[in-house]
Amino acid sequence: MKRTIAAAVTTAALLVGTAPAALAYEPVNVVHTETVQAGPYRVVVGFSTWPVRAMQSLDFTFAPDGGLEGKSGYLTVVPAAAPDVAWDEPLARHPRKRDVWGLDIRAMPVAGDYTFGFHLEGPQGPGEGTLTGLEVLAQPGPPMGLSWALSTLPLIGLVAFLAIAWRRHRNRTATR
Amino acid sequence: MDHDVPTTREIRALPPAAALLTGGLLTLIGLTWDVQWHTDVGPDTFFTLPHLFLYAGSAVSGLASLTAVLMTTAARRAGRPTDPAVGGAPVGVFGRVFTAPLGYLVAGCGAASFLLYGLWDQWWHGLYGFDAVIDSPPHIGLLTSVMATLVGTVVVFAAAVDQRWGRIGAIVSLAVLAAFSTITVVAFETISRPVNAVHVAMAGLMVLIVATGAAFTRFGGVLVAAALAVVQAVSWWFSPWAAEVYADAVGLPLRDYVDGVPVMPALMPMVLIPAALLVHPLLTARARWAPALAGAVAGALVAGLQVVQNSIVYDFPTPAVSRLLPTALAGAVLGLLAGHAGTRLGGALRHAKGFPTDESEAS
Repeated sequence: MKRTIAAAVTTAALLVGTAPAALAYEPVNVVHTETVQAGPYRVVVGFSTWPVRAMQSLDFTFAPDGGLEGKSGYLTVVPAAAPDVAWDEPLARHPRKRDVWGLDIRAMPVAGDYTFGFHLEGPQGPGEGTLTGLEVLAQPGPPMGLSWALSTLPLIGLVAFLAIAWRRHRNRTATR
Repeated sequence: MDHDVPTTREIRALPPAAALLTGGLLTLIGLTWDVQWHTDVGPDTFFTLPHLFLYAGSAVSGLASLTAVLMTTAARRAGRPTDPAVGGAPVGVFGRVFTAPLGYLVAGCGAASFLLYGLWDQWWHGLYGFDAVIDSPPHIGLLTSVMATLVGTVVVFAAAVDQRWGRIGAIVSLAVLAAFSTITVVAFETISRPVNAVHVAMAGLMVLIVATGAAFTRFGGVLVAAALAVVQAVSWWFSPWAAEVYADAVGLPLRDYVDGVPVMPALMPMVLIPAALLVHPLLTARARWAPALAGAVAGALVAGLQVVQNSIVYDFPTPAVSRLLPTALAGAVLGLLAGHAGTRLGGALRHAKGFPTDESEAS
């Protein structure tokens, strides 16, 4: 028992101790930029992958001229193909690039043209601007129907097991 | 039974069952932590500590199942009678190459499936990146694989229904299954009108599990709901704390605008204890229609009040009753089926070690 506990503690210590090395988070590499004028503020929108494809996640950066100091705001994202899934969210610092706002490892859900709206408040007052016509290409990989068919096999197996258990139990109790 | 003849009771039923449940708990800890990590901190790799808990949980469950199956097989090959209290009625696998206790067979298949879907998930992330989408196809495959392992765990403990630890273990395993299942219903998030499909599916699963517990043992439904509340309370404290401590340890900042709500515990329905108490007399009544009616009432309550829970937890206005009604009605319909099915499954669970003739039939 003592040996088991010692082994468990050592394993946990090794896991925690080596976690920083294992967690080699990739830096944010911007490979393409667009510029948006939101009132008095110029915002450089960066993409870590270009072109953008549906469901394929990437880092987005939003860098206003003069830095983030004294500025805040929110972002609206509107996909032309599915305006009902449009959303807005506060402009938050990118977790791996804290000097700019951003979306970390985020995917656009559907293909088509997107509009990013920037609604800013800052030392020079409010400002609004949009990035229009951001083209998101079709998703890579197999069709979603095939992916779902593969991924629901455990669920089908589980339901089948429960159905068999039910039937066998009913038959057994009926014959007693 | 001849007491001079050694049986598989020699391997003792409790240690492998406890190992199986430990694996399930490790997985649940990993999942609540991981969901909170993505919400409060963000960056992801294949080898984050919450992920390691997830993998370790399935590994422990898988190894416990494999051990139990191999020991039962060895006992059967040596001509010793198998004890169905160790994991359930024995089942021949690949003809009679292996003899697997039913519970360990289901749990082991879930763990093996988790491994396969882990590879599929790794391929998926290679293609699509590490966006933290809980309801991607591979994630649903992984989550339902864990659910299969937890169902097997319930069967393993239920096989020891004659022992107090068996009954307690089955209730705890049902609660862990309920806690774990709450995240899988997020897959229905895209369907929100005219009914909130997430809340309806949640109600169906919760009623199914509570009704199973009620039919399995005295006050089982209420006990499952109470055990789920304990899981909810512990993870409510644990998941944000663990996410923050781990972020500090690896030198990552918390996101801006973190609202501090524990995401996965907040999914677990807080109304389940009062709902289970309310329908307890119906769930345990002898009339054939009673469990279904109990399920309908509980289903309507859970589905209808989930948005009220969300409005309190996330601080937004509670929708008008007229907007809750379609979801409550759909919850009642699914709850009706779940109440009936759960009662049948709970009855079957009482015979997880098989009927008295099973041993002779299997021999």
